[in-house]
Amino acid sequence: MSGKLPTQTYQDINDTKVPFDYLRNKLKVKHLETKKRFYDKHPHVEEFMAQRSLDLGKIREHSAKVLGAGAMTGSLLFSPVQAVKSLPPPHEIIAKLQTQSLSIPPEVPQETLVDTMTKVLPAKTRPLTREEEKYLERLFESILRVPARATLEGEHLNTTYGLIGAEQHLRRYPGDTISAHGEGTVLKEGMAPGLGAWGYFASSRSALSPQLEETERWYAVVQTLYLPDWNTRQPHLKNWYKYRKVLIVNTKNGQAVVGAISDSGPAAWTGKHFGGSPEVMMHLGGERYKKGQVLIFFVDDPGNKVPLGPVEYNKVGLPESFLFQV
Amino acid sequence: MSKLFYDHLIVLTQVEAEIKKTAETPEEKEELWKLVDEIIHHRVMEKVLDKLPRAHHEDFLTRFHEAPHDESLIGYLTQQVGENVEELIRREIGELAYELIKELRRK
Repeated sequence: MSGKLPTQTYQDINDTKVPFDYLRNKLKVKHLETKKRFYDKHPHVEEFMAQRSLDLGKIREHSAKVLGAGAMTGSLLFSPVQAVKSLPPPHEIIAKLQTQSLSIPPEVPQETLVDTMTKVLPAKTRPLTREEEKYLERLFESILRVPARATLEGEHLNTTYGLIGAEQHLRRYPGDTISAHGEGTVLKEGMAPGLGAWGYFASSRSALSPQLEETERWYAVVQTLYLPDWNTRQPHLKNWYKYRKVLIVNTKNGQAVVGAISDSGPAAWTGKHFGGSPEVMMHLGGERYKKGQVLIFFVDDPGNKVPLGPVEYNKVGLPESFLFQV
Repeated sequence: MSKLFYDHLIVLTQVEAEIKKTAETPEEKEELWKLVDEIIHHRVMEKVLDKLPRAHHEDFLTRFHEAPHDESLIGYLTQQVGENVEELIRREIGELAYELIKELRRK
């Protein structure tokens, strides 16, 4: 018993959470009003759109098609790839690195990676050309020793170079609590109110395998909902993306993590393109890192041999095979 | 790639937080995201076309149709309108964010 009079029980209503139907209806009304006002003011736009079978509300899908066609024909309207052409091929960078490692002090691979990415990448994020992506694939394989691919089995994200934002922990099974997600600063982000795009990771605590625990710990979020063929190639795409391993590289400091795609988002109007779990963000940039530029490539790992988590490439040094190349 | 020429001007963090609190499934979340997205497109285009002289509408719409991602459209609009269009869009998004938050938060 709360001890309140019947006329005061309204105070118990949770005013921080609005029911879904209420929110949807509010947004639908707002949407209709906005649309009506726009076309009342500018009826010629409606006519223009209709003649081209275009819907302003679906303009993102149209944009995806335009950009997709541009990428296919190699005629992307972005800045030229002069930076890539003027750089030495990745194996020469590695050779230089290997030679330097014989002298004292050796150049840290991370510095080389950051330096090279700075030369290759534009200051502002944008979709990369195939040529740029190919160069980065070879760079990652050489320095990070992770077989990373911008296009894997014909699949490609809308962009491989974008902004990542901090996400909350995901509920792994019914009844999961934040305290069960570890300890320390990674708990500060809290738990997402809803589930990830693929629901619970396991049906119960006892069904949660160590592998699934790692999957949530190192989860990544990508904008599958904006893929141009997302709605037409189901359920294939949903299955293909589920827990798909991705290499995430902070382009400013070279910190790298192998994550697993476990949610869809963020919304396009958040100004971000990807999301990372508290652990992913902590490794990429530390406790105060909430948003930053990253590269995200698929990990080509058919044998499931690449572990999830931080890529500690400074500690392991360079592959022996490069000694032969040098 | 899903990109529009004014994407970099849109940051609706609080609206996102409200939606995250409410949506219990990914489908619910995406439905609400798309509604907000569509409201934004109509509001931005309304603001732009209100300011742009009628004689340039057809030209702008054609350019937009051909390359909705092209950020140089901002430069084109600024030239035709004679005002800082980036700032106009930013302000419009700010007003929309205020309206949405006011409506979405139950008193």
